[in-house]
Amino acid sequence: MNKIWENIFKLRQKAVDEIDAILLKIPVFQDLNKRELKKIKRILHQREYSSNEIIFKEGDIGLGMYIILAGEVQIVCGPDNHVLAELCRGDFFGELSLLDDAPRSAAALAKLPSVTLCFFKPELIDLISRDPQLGCKILFRLAWVIGERLKSTNEQLKKISCLREQDPLSA
Amino acid sequence: MPEGTGPVICMRISGNSTSHLRVVLILISIAGFIAFLTYIPDIVKLVIISILLAYILDPFANFLESRGMSRPTATVLIFIAIVFAVILAYMSVLPLFAAQISGLQAGFSPDRAGFVISRFEDFLMPYLSFLGIKELNLMGRTQGAMAGAGDWVLNHVLDAASLVTSMILIPFIVFFLLKDGREFKRAFVSLVPNRYFEFTLYLFHKLNAQVGNYLRGQLIDATIVGTMAVFGLWVIGVKYFFLIGIFAGLANLIPYFGPIAGAVLALLVSILQTGGLDKVLYVILAFTIIKLLDDAIIQPVVVARSVHMHPLTVLLAVLIGGKLFGILGMLLTVPLVGFLKVVVHESILNYRRYRTA
Repeated sequence: MNKIWENIFKLRQKAVDEIDAILLKIPVFQDLNKRELKKIKRILHQREYSSNEIIFKEGDIGLGMYIILAGEVQIVCGPDNHVLAELCRGDFFGELSLLDDAPRSAAALAKLPSVTLCFFKPELIDLISRDPQLGCKILFRLAWVIGERLKSTNEQLKKISCLREQDPLSA
Repeated sequence: MPEGTGPVICMRISGNSTSHLRVVLILISIAGFIAFLTYIPDIVKLVIISILLAYILDPFANFLESRGMSRPTATVLIFIAIVFAVILAYMSVLPLFAAQISGLQAGFSPDRAGFVISRFEDFLMPYLSFLGIKELNLMGRTQGAMAGAGDWVLNHVLDAASLVTSMILIPFIVFFLLKDGREFKRAFVSLVPNRYFEFTLYLFHKLNAQVGNYLRGQLIDATIVGTMAVFGLWVIGVKYFFLIGIFAGLANLIPYFGPIAGAVLALLVSILQTGGLDKVLYVILAFTIIKLLDDAIIQPVVVARSVHMHPLTVLLAVLIGGKLFGILGMLLTVPLVGFLKVVVHESILNYRRYRTA
């Protein structure tokens, strides 16, 4: 009997540890200690999506970011559902929505049965008012992520402009 | 077309064909739930009062949390503060309150009331003689009305058993709503289908701000108006100024009729007190000034979002509230209708904004 209980407990602990490990790999949560991570987990929403289910549509008001715990997600845009990216376990998307109210620039679609953790703006705002220190940590890391994205975009723009200068017709 | 998007379109088509059936089923479920609630009005009343109180206390719990406290500790501390406030009120304000209630009962003694009413009848009769009215019998009519009102008060207000139940159950529900409100919200949101999940959260966020501001604004407004009424009546020298002031503050929750009800009570007491119209003008002046200050300064500053309601809506809300939940219902139905109006208005507005973004 004890062994059954121990096994159940171990399974649950293993799942919790796995979620912790995934969250700690996300740049937004990297600096958090165990206590802070526990606080964050309390405000995350876990959702399950079946294969080909829409997670959010292009044009919807963006509310927050999604972290993939299991499965595979496609980011698509336009009327022809052009695939921009394919994401898997441990990846995250939609983090810009934590900062602005702009509509989603692309849609997200579960390619395979997927499980996601959702971190939303209303909860972030609530967290900032309740625990400003933790809120600042997250906002700082979020700014870092956006900065990295900006750097990467600048690099890509530089490459395109270099290509144009070298061969205007092919660019 | 990219791989894996074909079935989505098929799902959309089949989804559209069943969406009407789903809407009908949801509407039937809501109607059934409302019908069920009408069978348990007492519990509904307790839950509504508890939700309103939890909404009002929520910013205090958030403030304590921002100072490093855990949510359960913050909730316990708020309840300790409330218990202290109640004890303080019991020791300082309650004796005055009790004295004024017993004074008011004595003031309405048959002899004194009879004297004032007969004087009022004598004053009116010369003006009514041209209509052919020879006798008004105001005394008999008043006694009949007072007897009816007494029965009503006994049945609706002084129901000791329900009072004790409420005194225990309301703090109990408020405590858990305050402590675990976020978990309740998360549990509710987890039941929402994926399709409406983000919108539901978005709506919750918007409603929380609007409804919270509305309820807290109403409470602050009622407190300020009540304090002004107590002070004004005390300056004029109206007896039972404390009791009437509190009533005026609470009645202010009801638009249009509330301020008039407070003023009418003050006028009646002043007439019974002096046996004439000596203080009537001052009372009218005091309530007019309070109303002007309320409309021009307090409401625009304190009540962040005024909920406009048609007078007929207010009247019906008060009547239904009184019928279902007694005096408390009359006072709470209007803020509740305001709450529902904000909920419905914001839901429709934000759904449109969400979908057309």
